[in-house]
Amino acid sequence: MSEHRDSAAGTPAVTAGPPDEYVEAEIHRLLAEDPAVAEQGITVVRRERGLVLYGEVESPHRREEILRRVAERFPDVPVTSDIGVIRTQAPTQVEQLP
Amino acid sequence: MIRIAAVGDVHLDEDVVGRFRPALDELPDCADVLLLAGDLTRHGTEAEARCVAREFGGLGVPVVTVLGNHDHQCDQVPQVVKVLEEAGIRVLEGEGIVLEFPAGRLGVAGVKGFGGGFAGRCASDFGEPEMKAFVRTTNESAEALGAALRGLDCDLLVALTHYSPVPDTLAGEPLEIYPFLGSYQLGQAIDSAPTALALHGHAHAGSERGTTPGGVRVRNVAHPVIKQAYSIFHLGDHLDAGEVSRIGHSGIQQPWS
Repeated sequence: MSEHRDSAAGTPAVTAGPPDEYVEAEIHRLLAEDPAVAEQGITVVRRERGLVLYGEVESPHRREEILRRVAERFPDVPVTSDIGVIRTQAPTQVEQLP
Repeated sequence: MIRIAAVGDVHLDEDVVGRFRPALDELPDCADVLLLAGDLTRHGTEAEARCVAREFGGLGVPVVTVLGNHDHQCDQVPQVVKVLEEAGIRVLEGEGIVLEFPAGRLGVAGVKGFGGGFAGRCASDFGEPEMKAFVRTTNESAEALGAALRGLDCDLLVALTHYSPVPDTLAGEPLEIYPFLGSYQLGQAIDSAPTALALHGHAHAGSERGTTPGGVRVRNVAHPVIKQAYSIFHLGDHLDAGEVSRIGHSGIQQPWS
């Protein structure tokens, strides 16, 4: 795969690789099935300027690993990330149930 | 009143060890028991289970868990269970345990559960062998949960699963993947007993609160949902009013099974 262009802007797509929808599906599966990642809770969203990854992980290392693996597998796809690290503070409130 | 702390989907490995510990050190002051709703590890390896044992072992309160789908990934379930149980973490799969506290006896029944979907939009035990095996796995899991719940003699009954028993707590997840996140049969099992609370994980983008068709409160305690080390629920105010049949001393009673 060498090039991806979004046809949403009104110009015909010129793609040497698979359509973006398949790339999105492949990234989603990569995140779950790659043993170095194993994340099922990351959402891949197509935007005009590439793909954005959303979700939350348990450590900064995992966030970096996700971006590294995706960039390695899809070097020509512009990918940005909005992945957070989940907080682990003690709760400040309880839920009272009847 | 019994104080229950709960979290699921902590996905431990070496890179996470220590992150929960400061909050867990406070836990004995604010909870009587910690329930873990599965997906304790990333891939279900024995090494990752040791990380769980280090993080969640020796807390000073009983710790009870079910496994999740991630804990099955490397086919090392017996080794994972052994490591957890050696650390004093009780692993439930189709069985229950009764814990005695000054306020009364807490019964916890647990299964991992499985997918299949929810009433009117679910998979059926029909067609290819693979589809029948899928649905039968769900049915067997739910039947085991129901039997375990109904078999417990306690003052307060809690169901613990990884997969969701209701669609309510999946709100936020894409509708298309609901059948992979839970099944109505688990809800039916929970409603077959006088369950006070059902806890589950698995749905990282879901929401916290729901109820079964029978009115049992359901809470999704997946870590990405609760966004804190654990949630705490206070249940059983009636226990303080002298309605408990037999109040034992604090400690763990042997499981019924």
